[in-house]
Amino acid sequence: MSSKQGGKGAGAGKGKKGAKGGAEEKRDDILQAVIIADSFQDRYAPFSLEKPRCLLPLANTPMIEYTLEFLAMNGVQEVFIYCSSANTDEVEAYIYNSSRWRNGSKISPFSSLEFIRVSDARSIGDFLRDLDKRALISSDFILVHGDLVANVSLDAALAKHRARREANRENCMTVILRSAGEDDHRTKTHGITPHFVVEPSTTRCLHYEETHPLQADHYLTLDPDILEHKEFEIRSDLIDCGIDICTPDVLALWSESFDYELPRKNFLHGVLKDHELNGKFIYTEIVDQGYAARASNLQMYDAISKDILGRWTYPLVPDSNLVLGNSYKMTKNGVCVENGVVIAPNATITESVLGHRSSLGSGSSVSNSIIGDRCKIGKNVRIENSYIWDEVVIEDDTQIYHSVLADAVRVGKKSIIPEGSLLSYGVSIAPGTQLPTDPAARISLKQGDGSPATDDASLVGENGKGADFHESASSDYDSDSEDEDFGTDPSSLQKSLIYSLEGLNISTSSISTLATHTSVDSDEVESQVNALQNADPTKSTTATASRNRLDSLSAFSAFSDDSMTGAFHTDAVNGLLDSLRAEDTDDFDGAKLEFMGLRLANNASDSSMRKAIAVSFAKRAAELTSTLDPAKAAQRALLDKKGAIKFIREVGVGGKEAEQAEFALALQNALVTQVMGKTLEAGKAGTVLAALLQQLYSHDVLEEDGILAWWNDGRAVEGGELMATVRDKCRVLVEWLENADEEESSEEESDDE
Amino acid sequence: MAPLLAGYAPNLEKFLKTLKGQSLEASTEGLIALLKRRQIRGAEACAFATARVLLQVVAKSKWTDVDQLLANVQKVGARLTHAAPRELVIGNIVRRVLGLIRDEASEERNADNEGSLMDSVSDLQTLQPSAATATSSGSQRPGPNPIKPTLTPAASFVSKSLFNLLSVVDPAESFTTGSPVTGSSTPIQQNSSATALKSEVIDGIEEIMDELSQADDQIAGFADVQIHPGDHILAYQPTATVEKFLVRAASKRHFTALIASGTPSPKGPEAYASLKKKLAAAGVRTVHVMSGSYAAYLPKVSKVILPAHAVLANGAIIADGGAACVARAAREYSKPVIVLSGVYKLCPENSSEVEDPIELGDSSAYVPFTDGPLVDGVDVESAVSELVPADLVDMYITNLGPHTRDHLDDILADHYKVEDIDFPLQ
Repeated sequence: MSSKQGGKGAGAGKGKKGAKGGAEEKRDDILQAVIIADSFQDRYAPFSLEKPRCLLPLANTPMIEYTLEFLAMNGVQEVFIYCSSANTDEVEAYIYNSSRWRNGSKISPFSSLEFIRVSDARSIGDFLRDLDKRALISSDFILVHGDLVANVSLDAALAKHRARREANRENCMTVILRSAGEDDHRTKTHGITPHFVVEPSTTRCLHYEETHPLQADHYLTLDPDILEHKEFEIRSDLIDCGIDICTPDVLALWSESFDYELPRKNFLHGVLKDHELNGKFIYTEIVDQGYAARASNLQMYDAISKDILGRWTYPLVPDSNLVLGNSYKMTKNGVCVENGVVIAPNATITESVLGHRSSLGSGSSVSNSIIGDRCKIGKNVRIENSYIWDEVVIEDDTQIYHSVLADAVRVGKKSIIPEGSLLSYGVSIAPGTQLPTDPAARISLKQGDGSPATDDASLVGENGKGADFHESASSDYDSDSEDEDFGTDPSSLQKSLIYSLEGLNISTSSISTLATHTSVDSDEVESQVNALQNADPTKSTTATASRNRLDSLSAFSAFSDDSMTGAFHTDAVNGLLDSLRAEDTDDFDGAKLEFMGLRLANNASDSSMRKAIAVSFAKRAAELTSTLDPAKAAQRALLDKKGAIKFIREVGVGGKEAEQAEFALALQNALVTQVMGKTLEAGKAGTVLAALLQQLYSHDVLEEDGILAWWNDGRAVEGGELMATVRDKCRVLVEWLENADEEESSEEESDDE
Repeated sequence: MAPLLAGYAPNLEKFLKTLKGQSLEASTEGLIALLKRRQIRGAEACAFATARVLLQVVAKSKWTDVDQLLANVQKVGARLTHAAPRELVIGNIVRRVLGLIRDEASEERNADNEGSLMDSVSDLQTLQPSAATATSSGSQRPGPNPIKPTLTPAASFVSKSLFNLLSVVDPAESFTTGSPVTGSSTPIQQNSSATALKSEVIDGIEEIMDELSQADDQIAGFADVQIHPGDHILAYQPTATVEKFLVRAASKRHFTALIASGTPSPKGPEAYASLKKKLAAAGVRTVHVMSGSYAAYLPKVSKVILPAHAVLANGAIIADGGAACVARAAREYSKPVIVLSGVYKLCPENSSEVEDPIELGDSSAYVPFTDGPLVDGVDVESAVSELVPADLVDMYITNLGPHTRDHLDDILADHYKVEDIDFPLQ
């Protein structure tokens, strides 16, 4: 049946354009689309444990309906739906049971709709690489996500894309973006802000980057090449609705980079960054008419639901009854009701949607809410800004504010559900219960790993069902891969219904740090960096969200005031130490190469390089003192590897008196840090330093002037007793140097005489 | 690559092109989806698409006698009206097609019965004679006997119409029987007459489509009578109908056209550019009046022209949102309001029967979506269509000519059969 239908669709396409175009264009004429129905995220937890995200109801309609409708609206003929194995069955069953979308259904607007299962996919990137292998895509296709709500017409964008592609094969992708103004907008994603650098005259996208309020450095790094364009705009006011018009080349690009996972953060950023390598151009189509947004998290769910109620998504509104079998009707005060709805005469309801056979008791008031099918709402109930899914029972005198109640939730009499609460499938709240406000409750019958939770009577009351939802830290599946490489995890900002930085699950001591963060404007980079650094390192490391980034930063801040190069420092020191320790080879060239590469990649300054080298050699020397005496240790550290001395001379010092003094100071600092870190005895540190300096002097790395400059530098004695003790040990060396100097000069004098 | 200009998004034109290759069900659902997505909107497009789909029903659906055909048309028609409950013209076209089938069927039957007994079963004008003759031919007993129980079991075509005619009590009920005709009453020979009927009906539907496409030109034919030299004509959100009307008038008369747009159009002053260009070419001065400020011009205006989505039986019209306001303002200044509407837009419903004439559309018509604080803080209700009460309208110009309100009933009676008046309810 399906093949027959497909033939028909193709036939229709031919009929349409056959007269005008040749054989090749006929194939072009069929518009294909790929729906990514799996997000590999757990932003909808705990709801997504029970149902895949794209089947969760948005204004009483499963999200994927909006996506399919959007594709049908734009004349798409062939649809491929990608799902991970975990939830393909449910999505597939849903589509199969829908007489409208089922593959081969007579009334389906698509000529074919196919599911593709990828059992071992772990990211969106895996889907697209799989798609590349299958060679199903013959021409331009539209890539969308299963949670898209949009009514924009793609015709103009498609035509422009096609024209560009014909002009140049390398123009491979067009990203559809909706402008949303400079002000705060509820439908913009909060937490992660996308920044597009666009050349306005050609709409070419030059750079893409994401920022979020938890990151340490609030700046974008622009490639200097971008500045060569006559004009460019950095736009952060756009709603990224995830609609991409792609040529098959895009799939090839995905295949080339096997580590890309996300279409934006990895792919778009990566391809634009490596423009010189791959030569591909990506364009943007910024629309200012129509609606387009992705319900990518609960805050967006909230925003899009409000947009639907406000009819911004028209004609994708409940009373258009786009889903087969719906018969919503618009009544007064912006209220949409299905058949069989019973509203008590003295109940008030405004700007809301009521599903099939739901009832609302007398004295109750509902505003700005969406109520699903077969819900029973008692008397004097107050519901505001809430999303209540199917078959929910709410007993008398209950109040519900800005919450999500999933299917079959029961709320007992006189309960209060405060803002931001998430009640998952089947949860039951005992009468008279007040749920906590800060943080808002997330109640589920299941735990993060899918195992049943034991009912928590203190939360849901006696005889209630459900417990506070904890994500399982161990389970890898569903982990939010999008944000893994961030030191701090912005996905935590995306899991709540209400966006708030205060709502973060972090210890109170570090909130002050974050508060300074968010109170300042994003361009005040400096002040934020200072705020982070001034924060007590022990305190910021207790923040649950912080990981490597903050750790390294706090350790480093004692040593350097250049936090930008923190990552470089750690990597460089580790790399050098590894090669210094290496037993099997005595060649240092590899390490040097690696170091220089790292330096270029991070654009590290000379001073940070110097520090990194000094620290690594000091560390190595300190290590060796455990078995050898200090002088010997210093010698081995410097001379074991061929080229190490040369490396220090050229890279580490590479200058005159001032630089040499800096290097000596860096060595001293590093050794003091070793002492503080208890890896070196205080007494030995000075000897090691003296030995190191002597070795460096004898190998012409440091000259007497440099060492003397260090000796006379005030910084060498600052910073506590330890510094002074360590410095003192070098007195002999310095005196010897001074004497040698005098002797020399006296000799000269005598010569002169 | 010429075909690319057309784009992929479906619209009326593409829909009509796909009709041939598709099954009836697919066409119907296709149209329903387009109506729901508002990709086919506006009275003319809806009427045309409906006529085409009903043509498919007649040509493709399975039917062996008139009753089945009527039932099929009603079923599909009901689904279409349900898909776009505010596009009343869909119902009108269905009624027209139903009436057409009834006419053709009765002609056939008359031919069979040597034209002896009846001429028109259900025409309103011939109510009395047809009632008498129908009874004698249709039921076993002679003489009019419109008693419910005797008629409903053998619900044949003739007896149904008869029943309707004589007792207006419950017309809906007589149609609820889904049972096929027993054959006792309708003397239609199955196949030969069915094919004849089919081609007759198809011809009839094509005539309706011709009427639809000619309506605008015919209306424009009355332009020079209505518009006088030196007039100031205020046209509120001119549609294609109004555009033709004004352009035709411009070719003969010298007047000033004020074009008012209700919503702050995204296109701004560029809206209606083609109309302005055509009028300017004919030497007619045009003034574009932006939202709401037309009241200032009204003292100068001599006539107000409103395009209608639908004209109701009592003379009220359904028009673009904001039209009622214009009409009311015109009434204040005692300026005549002229409604342009093809006959096909004339509905047998009264304004009290139309459940909810106001359709709320896209909020971004008034508030740009880019204005975050407004989007979040303001409830926008943007009416796409609204009801203009009958007493605010002075004249209706259809393709048949200018009419007053009282005349509408006659036109209705000419075009729809009594049995079909209550169509969507069935």
